[in-house]
Formats: sequence, structure tokens, C-alpha cells
Amino acid sequence: MERRRFLSLLGKGFLVSSVAGVFPTAAFGKTALDYALEGQNYLQNGDYNKALEALLKAVEIDPQSDWAYGLLGRTYRGLNKNAEAVDAFRKAVRLNPEDVYSRMMIEIITQKPIPRLKSEPEELTPLEITARQEESAMLTSLRSDEGLGYKVNRVVIDPGHGGFDSGALGYSGLKEKDVTLDLAIMLYQRMASQGKIKPFLTRTADYYVPLSDRTAIANQFQADLFLSIHINASKNRNARGSETYYCSEKASNQEAARVASLENAVLKYDKPLTQREGYIDIEEILFRFEQKMNWKESGVFAGSFQQRFREKLPLDNRGVNAANFFVLRRAKMPSILLEIGFISNAEDEERLKGQSFRERVVESIMWGLL
Amino acid sequence: MSDDIVKSPYAALRFTLRHCGVRVSTPHSSGFTRLASGAFYFVVSMMTFYEFIMSKRRRFPRSFLYGLTLCILFVLLLPLMPACHGAFAADVNDIIFRGADYHYKGKLNEAIAAFQQAVRLAPDNEFAHNQLGLLYAKKERDGDAFREFSTVVQLDRRNTFALLWTGILYLKQNDMDKAFEAFQEVTSLDPNNADAYYFLGAIYNFRHHPVKAIEYLKKARDADSGEADTHYRLGRAFHRLDMINNAYLEYTRALKLKPAYTKAINEIGWIYYNQGNYQAAIDQWNNALSINPKDTDAISNLAKVYNDMAYVALSQNKTDDAIAFWKATLSVMPGNKAARYYLDSYRR
Repeated sequence: MERRRFLSLLGKGFLVSSVAGVFPTAAFGKTALDYALEGQNYLQNGDYNKALEALLKAVEIDPQSDWAYGLLGRTYRGLNKNAEAVDAFRKAVRLNPEDVYSRMMIEIITQKPIPRLKSEPEELTPLEITARQEESAMLTSLRSDEGLGYKVNRVVIDPGHGGFDSGALGYSGLKEKDVTLDLAIMLYQRMASQGKIKPFLTRTADYYVPLSDRTAIANQFQADLFLSIHINASKNRNARGSETYYCSEKASNQEAARVASLENAVLKYDKPLTQREGYIDIEEILFRFEQKMNWKESGVFAGSFQQRFREKLPLDNRGVNAANFFVLRRAKMPSILLEIGFISNAEDEERLKGQSFRERVVESIMWGLL
Repeated sequence: MSDDIVKSPYAALRFTLRHCGVRVSTPHSSGFTRLASGAFYFVVSMMTFYEFIMSKRRRFPRSFLYGLTLCILFVLLLPLMPACHGAFAADVNDIIFRGADYHYKGKLNEAIAAFQQAVRLAPDNEFAHNQLGLLYAKKERDGDAFREFSTVVQLDRRNTFALLWTGILYLKQNDMDKAFEAFQEVTSLDPNNADAYYFLGAIYNFRHHPVKAIEYLKKARDADSGEADTHYRLGRAFHRLDMINNAYLEYTRALKLKPAYTKAINEIGWIYYNQGNYQAAIDQWNNALSINPKDTDAISNLAKVYNDMAYVALSQNKTDDAIAFWKATLSVMPGNKAARYYLDSYRR
């Protein structure tokens, strides 16, 4: 009898051990929570390797457990594997955005350099392959300049007015729109022939292009400089000479402020950007920085052009003026408005008619760019 | 290695509550256990001593018993001193935890108060100074923020978070050279710092140095490919060099991460337009407007393109088509002077 019982027990034992061997989880029924608890206990006792083993099993069974990921992060931290720790904490925060502890740990660890986690290279898409070919063909042939000086490779030349908008009229009938177009085309041809700077025109014939279209064109061609060519006019027939405008927060004088307010009254699309309490918008900081840099650079270009006009043209120097022009503000690059002489002044008008004078104007602008 | 933080009884309770259902103590509870067990032994010892005094009170003079009581009290309290010190130290961590909690919940004033208290108690705590700097920056107290980040940099030059933020504050002051220097220092300390590479790439983009911008923005992208802004700015740099396939690829990557990124949509529109695919371009800008009806770039791009198409139609004597295009211009930009003028002229 005893022997029979012994054999029966032996048989049952064999059956149980076989099942346990083949289906260990079925036999012991360990859940993600069990592994996480086990990991937590190891973690508490400072046995990080065993904790890691248990917690990896926990997150494998339940990848949605923010708690297990949090513990895993702490374990990696204990093993001084900071990159893995941050990765685990990030997963915890992704699963539970209110996990203050994990979020804080990410910030504590990432205060200082951590090694990068290796990732598996992914298969390239056809577009990625084409892009790589393009890059290897082009980028190696391009030379990068040292320093942080502003680079001009593309210029949008904007002949003022056009079409139904003649601009100012001279006493002998000379139209601003015709002079600006002729100067712009001459400048375009000069730049194109030199080949150092790629020029673009906002209009190529006698038609009207609205102000918003002109800056859109500058953005279309990713221009580095927007150059608007105008001829001045005044009720005072004695007013004469050249001046250059650029965009700035503050007007340089009352006249510039008046001109800008007249221009700005036309369009009202922009709204002042407001800062949200408790939120730092890095892109907003960069946008404002870029705008300030562009304005500053516009001032530098304006000074350079005006200097060349003073040196090379028989026109009075009226200096550089700054004002907050709405249209210039919308351009994503330095923008200059050149006023080359007064069409309302008989002497200036006579000069503006002459081909040789126009060539000297173009020459001066080219010098100003260099 | 410890977690550096949170060892207080309060935090231990919070931690347990946060993970309620798990009835296992956490490493956070060590301070709590130390204090609780200390108090338990203290009370038991005092009760035993009280029993002893009560039984011997007639045999010894009262002054002797008072003296003995004081001595024993002192001896019993001695082991509790480190525990009390531990509890005090733990309080700083607890304050930091509380401050972080307030910060993440947007309670900036409470968070500032907590971190101010934390830096008073632990002047060398870099995390507390950094959080305080960040909070001041959020309150536009840039001077105070700068002071906090500078303190951290003085404590440890390797704290790249503080260095990065000094760079950002220099950007806010429009000091490009100092900002650039700070970001470069971050990259020299941490060659995997995506943020520093991003700022350097952005600065090169602002200076219209596309080759350099590409070099740095690619590093930013490779260090962290999950930022739409990095892809967008990299796209812009490629676009400047007419590397259209790369520009398009980066814009689409930005959109994959942030589908409502209208700046990328607008640029893709120009890629299509410059390739002569006008309808695809118009679709892009209309898409941008469906996301943000006030997107000024999309509005002026559409107006410009409709006007261009109208001029082309007019030059081919297709006046009806031209009129339709000017109408389209006015539908997106009702104040467009050109479309209004020509529409009035040709309707007559």
C-alpha cells in the first residue's frame, strides 16, 4: 500500500515538474505586477542586476506599466546607465504625464551630458535615397564660410510701383514706375552676368504688384536680401538727393515715422505676439532674434548703399532713415528701400532720364552689396 | 547609487499613495522607517524606565532620581540625533519634489517659493537653481534667471542645462556672439546635445550660411529626430541651396511629427510652385489655411499666385480665366489692390 502511494506521488510529481518545465509561466502564473514587485524589492535592497532582470520581464509582459518603467529607470540609474535610465523615465512619463517623480528624474539626469543610446538603422525610403544622392552630389562641392558675417547669395530686386500705380510723376512726364523698372532690370542683368549673386525680380514689365506679393516673392526664392527701388517726390520742388530706408522698431525721425505710419495704415494683418504666462516659446524667441538680426543687418546694408551713393552719384546725401514699415517687417530677410533722387526736382529728374546716370546708380548698388 | 532626492517620510507616503495597491515599502520610505523605529524604541525605553523609577522611588533621594532621569533621557536621545538630521536633509528633497510638482502643474509662484526655500537650505543644489532659473525665465525675470543659471555654471561647469539656458537668455538679449559661444561650449561638453546643435544651426540659418546650418542641424536631427522644428529649419537650409529633395524630405518629416505645422506646409507649396506644379502648391496653402485661417504667409502666397495666374491668362487673352483668378485672390485677401483694380477694369 505504502509503495503504491509512493509511486502515485512520484508520478504526480513528475507530471507537475514536466508542466513546469514546458510552461513555466502557466505553472507559476507570474504577472507583470509580480515581476515589478520583485524588481522593487531587489531595488530596495540595492541588488540592481536582479532588479533589472525582473523589471525587464515586467515591461515585456506589460509595456503599458508606467510604474514598472519608473522602477526600471531607477534601476538603470543605480547601475549608472543614465541614457537607459532617461529612456525608461521618458516611457514612464509618456504613459503617465502626471508622473512627477520620473519627469523630475529626467530633468535631474539630463542636466549633465549622458551617452546616446544606440538605435537600429532603418531602411531608407526612395525619397531618402534620392535626398542622399543629391546631398553627396551637391554638399561636398559647396564651401562653408567661417565666422558669423551675413552672407548674400540671392537678392530679390523690387522695382517700385507699376501698372496703374505710376508712382511719382516728374514735371516733364517721367514716371517713377518706368525708372524703377529700368534700373531693376539693369541691376538684374549686371548681377546675372557677374554670377556671384543670384538675382530675382518682383516684376518684369509694367503691371502692378501688391506690396504683400512682393515680400511673398522674396520668401518664394529664399532670398538673402530684399532691395526695393524707388524714386522720391515732394511738394517742395527744392527737395533733392538720395536716401535709404530700412525697417526698425523705432523711427529715426518724425518724417520717417510719418512715412511708415502711412504705409502701415494700408495693411492690418499682423497682430502683436503675446507671451503666455508660464510658457517659454523657444520658436518665438528665435523669431524675434531673427527679426532683430535682420533689422540690424538692414541698417548695415542701408549704410553701405548710402555711402556708395554719396561717393559715386552726383546727388545730395539725405542719409539713412529707419522706420517700422509693415511690409519690410514681413520679409524674412534684411530689406532695404532705396530712394534714388527726387523726381519732383528738375535737376534730379533730368539726371534720372539719362542712361549713363542709371548705369552709375546700378554700379553704386553693386558696390554697396560688396 | 542613490536617487539623489526624495527620502523624506512625506515623500514616502506620497509615493505609496501614488502607486496604491502595491503594499511594499519603497526605498523612499527609509527615512520614515528610521524615524518610526526610533520613536518606538524611545517610548518603550521610557516606559521601562518609568516602571523602574516607580519601584525604587522610596529607596533613593528624589534629587538623585531627577539626575538619573536627565542622564538617561540624554543617552536615549543621542541615537535619534542622526535621524533628526536625516529628516532635515530629507526636507530639502521634499521641498524640491513639491516645487517640481507645482512647476509641472503650472503653479509658478508656489514653485518659485518652494525652490527659493530649497536653495536657501541647500545652496549647492544645481537642480533647484536650474528650476528656479527656468521659473524666473517663464515669469520674464531674465536677470534673476541669468543669476540662477550662472550660479549653477559656477558650481559645475559641466551642467549643460544651465549653460544652454544662459545661451538662450543671451539670444533674448540679441547678443549673438555670447549665445553662440555658450552653445558651442555645450556641444564641446556634450557631443550629443541636440538642443545646442539646434540653436547653432538656427543661428547659422539666420546669418544665411546654409552649409554650416546644415552641418549643425543634421547633428541636432541625428541626436534627436523627434523635433519638428529641427526638421523644418534643416529643410529651410537645404531649400536655400536648391537641394529640393532634401528640403522636401525634411519638411515632410516635420509634418509627420506635427501635422499642423503650417510653416512647413507653406514651404512645400513653394517647392511645388517653383517646379510648375501650381495646383499642388495651391492645395498646400489651402491646407495651411484650413489649419489656421489667419496664416499670413499662406494668404499672401495664394494671393500672389492667383494674381500671377491672372496675368498669364490675360496675356493669353483668356479674360474670363483672369477674372476667375482675381476673384480667387479677393476670396483670400479681400483688400488686394491689384485684383480689385483689374477686376473692376475687365468687368467693364
